[in-house]
Amino acid sequence: MSESTTPVLRAEGLVKTHHGEGAPAHAVRGVDLRVARGEFVAITGPSGAGKSTLLHLLGGLQRPDAGSVWLDGERTDGYGEARWAVERRKRIGIVFQFFNLVSDLSVADNVELPALLAGVPPKKARAGRKELLAELGLEGKGRSMPGELSGGEQQRVALARALVNHPPLLLADEPAGSLDSRGTREVMRLLSRFHQRGQTILLVTHDARLASAADRVISFFDGRIADDAALDAGPPPRRAGASGVLELKD
Amino acid sequence: MRATLRWAHSDLRTHRGEALFLVLATAGIVASLLLATALFGYATNPWQRVFTQVRGAHVTLHTTASADAGRLAGLDGVESVAGPYPTAALTLASQGGRASVELRGVPGKPEVGRPLITSGRWLDPATPDGVVLESRLARALLTAPGDTLTVPGTARRLTVVGVADSAEPRYRPGERSGLVWALPSAVPDPAGQVVGLRLTDPGDTGYAVQRAVTELGAGAIGEVATWQQARAEAQGDNRLLGQVLGLFGLGALLAAGFAVHGAIGTRIRGHLRDISVLKAIGFTPGQVVRVFLIQHLLYALLGALAAAVLTEALGGAVPGRLGDAVDVWQGLPGHTVALFTVPVGAVLFIGATTGLAAWRAGRVPPVPVPRPATAPAGRLTGVARRALGARVPPALVLGWHKAFTRRPRSLGAVGRLALPLLLIVVALSAWTTIDRFHGSPERMGLPTALSVRADSSLGDGGALALLERDPQVAAAYPGVEVAALVPGQTATIALRGLGTHREPYPFTLAEGRAAHGPDEAVAGQGLLDLLHVRVGDWVRMTVGDQPQILHIVGRSIEPENAGRVISTSLDTLRANDPELRPAHYQLRLEPGAEPAAVAERLAAAGRGHLDVHTVTNPADGLSPLRAVVLGLIVVLALIGLIELLTLIGGTVREGERDLLALKAIGLSPRQITAVTVTATAGTALAAVLLATALGLPLAHWLIDAQGRSSGVGAGIAQGPSPVLLLLLGTAAVLGAAALAALPAARAARRRLADTLSAVA
Amino acid sequence: MRLHLLALLARGPAHGYELKQDLEQLLGSAYPQPNVGQIYVTLGRLEKSGLIEGEDVEQSSRPNKKVYHLTDAGREALRAWYEETADEPRVRDEFFMKLALAPRTGLADQIALINRQRRQYLNTMRQLSKLAAAEDRDNRISHLLIEGAMLHLQADLDWLERCQEELEELE
Repeated sequence: MSESTTPVLRAEGLVKTHHGEGAPAHAVRGVDLRVARGEFVAITGPSGAGKSTLLHLLGGLQRPDAGSVWLDGERTDGYGEARWAVERRKRIGIVFQFFNLVSDLSVADNVELPALLAGVPPKKARAGRKELLAELGLEGKGRSMPGELSGGEQQRVALARALVNHPPLLLADEPAGSLDSRGTREVMRLLSRFHQRGQTILLVTHDARLASAADRVISFFDGRIADDAALDAGPPPRRAGASGVLELKD
Repeated sequence: MRATLRWAHSDLRTHRGEALFLVLATAGIVASLLLATALFGYATNPWQRVFTQVRGAHVTLHTTASADAGRLAGLDGVESVAGPYPTAALTLASQGGRASVELRGVPGKPEVGRPLITSGRWLDPATPDGVVLESRLARALLTAPGDTLTVPGTARRLTVVGVADSAEPRYRPGERSGLVWALPSAVPDPAGQVVGLRLTDPGDTGYAVQRAVTELGAGAIGEVATWQQARAEAQGDNRLLGQVLGLFGLGALLAAGFAVHGAIGTRIRGHLRDISVLKAIGFTPGQVVRVFLIQHLLYALLGALAAAVLTEALGGAVPGRLGDAVDVWQGLPGHTVALFTVPVGAVLFIGATTGLAAWRAGRVPPVPVPRPATAPAGRLTGVARRALGARVPPALVLGWHKAFTRRPRSLGAVGRLALPLLLIVVALSAWTTIDRFHGSPERMGLPTALSVRADSSLGDGGALALLERDPQVAAAYPGVEVAALVPGQTATIALRGLGTHREPYPFTLAEGRAAHGPDEAVAGQGLLDLLHVRVGDWVRMTVGDQPQILHIVGRSIEPENAGRVISTSLDTLRANDPELRPAHYQLRLEPGAEPAAVAERLAAAGRGHLDVHTVTNPADGLSPLRAVVLGLIVVLALIGLIELLTLIGGTVREGERDLLALKAIGLSPRQITAVTVTATAGTALAAVLLATALGLPLAHWLIDAQGRSSGVGAGIAQGPSPVLLLLLGTAAVLGAAALAALPAARAARRRLADTLSAVA
Repeated sequence: MRLHLLALLARGPAHGYELKQDLEQLLGSAYPQPNVGQIYVTLGRLEKSGLIEGEDVEQSSRPNKKVYHLTDAGREALRAWYEETADEPRVRDEFFMKLALAPRTGLADQIALINRQRRQYLNTMRQLSKLAAAEDRDNRISHLLIEGAMLHLQADLDWLERCQEELEELE
């Protein structure tokens, strides 16, 4: 199967500095990045390194001080806020750590909203929503308000919301950051499942388990990429690795 | 777009109460503005219409019977002349009462000042004793064509053949005689003449009068009435009512604009997160702005539409003057335009304030962040700390701190809440002023309640004795009113001689002192404005052909005749004209006496020789004003309620982030509720104080300005009683506390998990 | 391994192969297959120490198997084992030594070392995840074991981050 060679996402020379109360914080210092179609990339690093800022830049939520971003080969330098908003409807799905859902709207409305924004007819949006919620194990929660759901359920709804339009690129910023280990496992399972179906995912996380589910792990330090490693896909060698870790001491 | 609609729809569901209030408030404001327009139209137009239709006379001159008034036809600037017609002064009686009238002998139908028959027919020689009454007079006497009127004291009978409208100054019982047209044969013994001049240039009235006076000689001139006077009298109260409604409507519109702005601003602050998420999902800033804008425009439009429809449909059914006004207004040409522009204007104004607030919503960054730290609020003041140390309930101290430390925000909240309260204070002042007119008229320039005319049979002393014999009459003041020509001879003013030096008339003074010595007088504001003089000046006027020089020593409050009255004692006038007899008597009653009962008694005692009238209280015409003021207070209260709900919502939301900390300190949920309630009540208290502090002087100024412009004179303004103000303040503060209690209690009892997710 | 066998025998007597089967069943496929030979050797040592006692059992068609049971001394040893707490885990001191000595040798760049170690950890984590996915859901102990390993790895990775931060600061 021949795949398109244009990367879904490409960034060159991204720079972003936050000017806060004290000294300016250089969140992103000259980052080059390329994500091919169907790749699952994880970005790890200590907090405060600028991972979230990088994600915001790639999703058009903030404007870079310098550098460019290409979505599907299209340069986004001249995009205004409104244009980025349009892009986010169809081409990019975003999941945050908190505050993914509009508290005034029901779960169903929350999930259908991006579809309606993209111009999908309401019937089709409703069908898509039902399908996604069922797949994520949330049938029957359509009418609830976000405040009534647990943290894990909220993140699942957020995932549904991000994927309802089948965007080519999914950006996730610490999606399991506020969840316990069971919630983390759920998120990991879902992300893997969607990745297997061909979804391109760019994930920011400090959880090694989540990061290990990715094909590629980028280490982000102090605003710069320190390492870009592809993880082995093959089966584990028997002695070293897992069993070694599980070695029971004598 | 559908997504926008979906969001707007669910937003509406969560904020139903606020939406309803906005709709109602807008409806109230638009209704009051429409009624104001109606009243203005009603005020100006009917008289204008009648004047044009009757080809009214611009100047009406009453002269002596011997004057050669026909010469006036040849004057410069005079287009045509009505009359001269012979006149006689009579009293007519019918089943409905008595009235003093001017009987005017008119051959055929006059060309200038042609009366408009409203019922019956015009005079015709076949009925020699037939008369046509002016419509106001007919209403006062409760007569209709076909009735018979008698002249008390004689056997004379007159038959009413018709009722007509005229554009001349109207009948006012006790003050101005009514107009009755009859055949010249019915006026065999005229006391004077009346001639009407129609001018080529209506603005030239002053000069026309001057020329007429010069032509005929000052001695021949009695009273001069101009078309401007007639119009002002006809408009009179309606104009005032319209002005009040308009002023309040505009003030309420301003307050509503602020309220909407504040409501949206607070809502945005509470929903920063949601708006960020929506933007992250893909709402453009334009869409976000549009949702807020369209939502609120829709509410405003709904309210305006409802008001317009209700006013159209039910406006005529309102009892009293307002209903008449709407009826007339609906027939006027500018009606559809006004019905369209006023609601649209109100909606646009609200749209502008909404737009400003909504624009800020569009600027929220699309990155959802934990609730941004609000501007540093400031440390607990030393006073607060000492209070805490002194065992003042911590809830009170913290609540106070919460309400008042965030400078710009708390000032804004207090200011926005104070605006409707301020208008309510002004409304209450207006109410109290009108109340005083009824309750203690002696303070408002109406020291006497009854006015009595005696016919010549009783004689001076006899009438006085008869009047003072009544136990409920405290004093009787003889008086006379003559028309005097002002310097420049462009108009006549009313010169009154009331009371004697022995028993001076108790004028209500606003400035200066009472007139004691000879040649001293007090004047009304209208007169001072007309002659461009001040208290302390000397004025010279002509009575008949006699000059009269008076020293104005004080300003009195004069409700009648637009304040163009100068009053002195009878003795001063007698100095010039010893033959002067009192034409009427003003009676001051004992406190608690019922004027109508006393009037009946006196009329009975007088046995037909006395003509007793109650003095018209200018506030009588303003009774619809009370209903209007009440309605406006309701609208303003609604706006205040919106503001209050906004304030409470904002305070509760901001308190959520402190909930955990407060619980950790050791405050019980009830105390935490008390913090929010105290903060709200504190803001309400500050707003009430501000509103009172600013509102009372403003009300005084406004009412006095109105008094000054209408000629009654400044000094009539009365502030609301302290009890009423206290009631208003208590209601506002307690109401605020009560409204805040429920949401605050609910917030204080939230599960910890929920608060974490709300704050984190 | 000694104390583990003692614990298994606390339930009742068993022979070597049964013990091997018990271990496998308990720990699941995550645990490397216990070496039969090693078990028999350990059983021999335990018998020598007097903590267990063995008895020969006659079998008809097979060689005799030895059935072991706990002695009082063994039970005592087991009780003592349960009462004492475990030591803290050791830090992987081999890696740490490499890191600390790298600048002296001039043979390796510290950052590169860290990156390589990190890749290794991540790969291991990935394999653990696969293991956990393949494992039978009901085997709680097995899953707990895997989770424990993952958490350790997470801790190691966090520590690597700290190292990198400190080193980056020095540069």
